[in-house]
Amino acid sequence: MRHHRIWDPFLRVFHWALVAGFVCTALLTAPEGRLHQDLGYVVAALIALRLAWGVFGPRSAKFSVFVPDFAAVMAHLSDIATRRKRVYLGHSPLGALMILNLLASIALIALSGFLMTTSAYAGAKWVESLHETLVVWATGSIAVHVGAVLWESLRTGVNLSRAMITGVKDIPRDANIVP
Amino acid sequence: MTPRIANTPATLIIVIAVQSLCAAFYLADLLFDGVMEGWAQVIQGDFFFEAAATLALIAAVVVETRFLMDLLRRKAYLERQVSIAAGAFHDIILDHFSLWGLTPAEQDVAQFTIKGMSITEIAALRGSAEGTVKSHLNAIYRKADVSGRGGLLSLLIEDLMGRPLLAQAPAEQT
Repeated sequence: MRHHRIWDPFLRVFHWALVAGFVCTALLTAPEGRLHQDLGYVVAALIALRLAWGVFGPRSAKFSVFVPDFAAVMAHLSDIATRRKRVYLGHSPLGALMILNLLASIALIALSGFLMTTSAYAGAKWVESLHETLVVWATGSIAVHVGAVLWESLRTGVNLSRAMITGVKDIPRDANIVP
Repeated sequence: MTPRIANTPATLIIVIAVQSLCAAFYLADLLFDGVMEGWAQVIQGDFFFEAAATLALIAAVVVETRFLMDLLRRKAYLERQVSIAAGAFHDIILDHFSLWGLTPAEQDVAQFTIKGMSITEIAALRGSAEGTVKSHLNAIYRKADVSGRGGLLSLLIEDLMGRPLLAQAPAEQT
């Protein structure tokens, strides 16, 4: 086992705060309530902080480092197809795509939710249905994300969910690290 | 490799992504209808057609994903074969060079010649006069006992075709 410290404390706090924020806002509060709106602002602030962290933060959090090009995505898919055990120290290409998807859809949920509180869009039906559709989309994406994390952990032998808690990836000896 | 083959996985990925979205949409729609209006209301008439169509879509996505994985496996295999062939050819070249007793400068010139460069190009690359390159080439052909570039190449290729390619591959397919 080799130990690599990957995720900085802010990133981990952000991740689990976003989990808590999304679950509480989407599932546990009444959509018309004051609490739902306040939690929505908290989630929006979290996303804004993550975007800033993606520009000014450490290497593993930077968009310029982890946003994959097409070749990287193909390489990751080929690894899966050929059962090659190669592990990524930071975000994997497919994982990075999911991160971008979740950041974008949750940001749009917050934006459309905010628009519903403004007088200009208060009665607009399309804003409301956009808000609800995006919540369904994000919930489905989260399910796929959790499934993919479990599956990649089993495939590569790296416990990815523990790494998001401790910040350390434990990489087995027989796995190669992608440069 | 032709661009058509190189782009097939990308096209397939796009098709899979679009069909997955459609399947997810129909599935969600079906579930919402069932939950909102009660399953007794929903399960009749058109429901079976919609359910069958959705299932067919999901099946298509599964089949396409398997096909994509096959394609990627085949691509990785071919790339491995090519690199084995390239490595084998390189080994043969180096074997011959040491057999013929080429000097380092002659080995350089011989490599460039095998790659198809002209005397002028080799001279420019090595920063030497064309006359020097010519005399290196004469020495190479004399030591290899061939009359020119064609003879040199056919000597190497003949040897490459005589060798088993795969037996030399490191057995690391895990």
